[in-house]
Amino acid sequence: MSIIIDSISFSIGDIKILKKISLEFNAGELLTILGPNGSGKSSLLKVLSGDFIPTNGEVSFNNTPLKNISIEKRAEIRSVMSQSQRVMYDFSAKEIIEMGWIENEISDESSFKNALNIVSKDCEIDHLLNRSINNLSGGEQRRVHFARTLIQLWNKPNDKNSRYIFLDEPTANLDLYHEINLIKILKRKVAEGFGVFLILHDLNLAFKFSSRVAFLKDGKLVCIGSPLEVFDEKLLSDIYGISISVDKKFKRVTYY
Amino acid sequence: MNEFINTPSTFKFISSRQFIILGILSFFFLFAIFISISIGSFKISIIDYFLGNLSQIQNKVLLNIRTPRVILAGLVGASLSLSGACLQGLFRNPLADPGLIGVSSGAALGAALTIVIGSEIIPNFMLATYILPLAAITGAAFVILMLFIFTKGFGVQSTIYMLLVGIAVNAFAGVGIGILTYISSESELRSLTFWTMGSFGGITWSLIFPAIIITTVVLFWTLRISRKLDLLQLGELEAHRLGVNIKKLRFNIIISSAIMVGISVSLSGMIGFVGLVVPHLVRLLGGVNHNYTLIGSIFAGASLMIFADLLSRILIEPAELPVGLITSALGSPFFLWLIFKMRTE
Repeated sequence: MSIIIDSISFSIGDIKILKKISLEFNAGELLTILGPNGSGKSSLLKVLSGDFIPTNGEVSFNNTPLKNISIEKRAEIRSVMSQSQRVMYDFSAKEIIEMGWIENEISDESSFKNALNIVSKDCEIDHLLNRSINNLSGGEQRRVHFARTLIQLWNKPNDKNSRYIFLDEPTANLDLYHEINLIKILKRKVAEGFGVFLILHDLNLAFKFSSRVAFLKDGKLVCIGSPLEVFDEKLLSDIYGISISVDKKFKRVTYY
Repeated sequence: MNEFINTPSTFKFISSRQFIILGILSFFFLFAIFISISIGSFKISIIDYFLGNLSQIQNKVLLNIRTPRVILAGLVGASLSLSGACLQGLFRNPLADPGLIGVSSGAALGAALTIVIGSEIIPNFMLATYILPLAAITGAAFVILMLFIFTKGFGVQSTIYMLLVGIAVNAFAGVGIGILTYISSESELRSLTFWTMGSFGGITWSLIFPAIIITTVVLFWTLRISRKLDLLQLGELEAHRLGVNIKKLRFNIIISSAIMVGISVSLSGMIGFVGLVVPHLVRLLGGVNHNYTLIGSIFAGASLMIFADLLSRILIEPAELPVGLITSALGSPFFLWLIFKMRTE
């Protein structure tokens, strides 16, 4: 079971955002997308999510073309966490998480409460549930939206298709403790069989925790592979335009 | 343990607190009907009606004049408030009131135009009952579509454009209705005050019967989208990712709001600020999720409008004030307060 991205191109007007990107992304792996600003990472995520329709090429989920999957069905097989959200009206954190509970036809409230209980403990937001989302700090808001992203895929659909979580810089605004906590939760999801597609800027986090990493630059896929294969001093220095040294033993990079 | 897990919630995605508030609002609604039917230039007790103690003329006033009037007031109050709540959800903007953003004016202009042009060709009974509401609905839908284009798809940063479009449409419709009322004979078109300030007077069962059926259907139909409206508050992109078909949702809200506003305006003229104030009060009372706000707006809107109509009947007895005067007198300070609050935030 996998997501296949088959020579995707995407342009807005005359500007080519993505140029013929092909990669296969498996369930049960954590694929981290890295690259400088404006390299097309978020656009690739939006193509995968179905927000952008690619100019050329095709995306397929578990052998079904994305365009043949209904909007409702898509929400059952993948959840997405955006870079930032602005919520109108003062919903409570609990209500925001509830919005991710998409199988609302099942009126079993105890299973929701159970899921909410686990997710909010995992993300350490159980003390924030009754607060208004707009009164929380940036990092706290991110954790609430992360919880919503997790709870969206709580109930398994009837088929045995693999499911995927896409995250666009989920660790932005998080302190070190919660950053590591989030990655650990994602690793657990990967072990449960989810495919996690993660956009990051932190090379060290990517190095340490990814199954594979892919580098984008100027809308092109530069390389993809296991961190130890791909993290190469010359390659990284070329991509980012600063000198970067790689310590393969401790899986660490330094750039200042 | 947090509070949520300890408190038993009684209804899916409505907290027990909200459930109690809805109960109180529905009780308030029944109370409003009871009081409003009993009081007026002609004192009638409902209890006496059930005991059979009323004179023939009292019976007539109760059944043929006052009851349809109270029902119409309730219906219009519920429709304007519910469409206000829906538009505020769709625009993601608490200032989206059918009156302020020009939807009601569009409906009034559509209705007035039809009377002037159509009164020659269309049989009279058809005109008032069917064609007029239809023209008003078309006018309302047209304005919502125009707002959609001007705000680039109901974007979040569009408050200014939304209100500016409202000012322009209101001015244009004001001119149109004004000219029409002056060039046409009295019998063709109702008075200028009817269109601009609203009234529930002179209503009969035959006029409101189709409206009751259609509005009730639309009210229930609209309640089904409440959860999707919640998801929309995360942004269109997020709602889409959570499985909401945005185009379908938009279409649903545009059609249902146009029907509710159109029917209201064609039967009672333009009554301002109800759609702005009521959803706000409901949110202040118990929270912002639409499962609760939409139902709450129906009950609160109906009750407040019934009371406003009662005031319009009794304040300067035996004459009558236009009901829109009362709602605007209460609503415009509220609007100012809202702008002040938004500014300080």
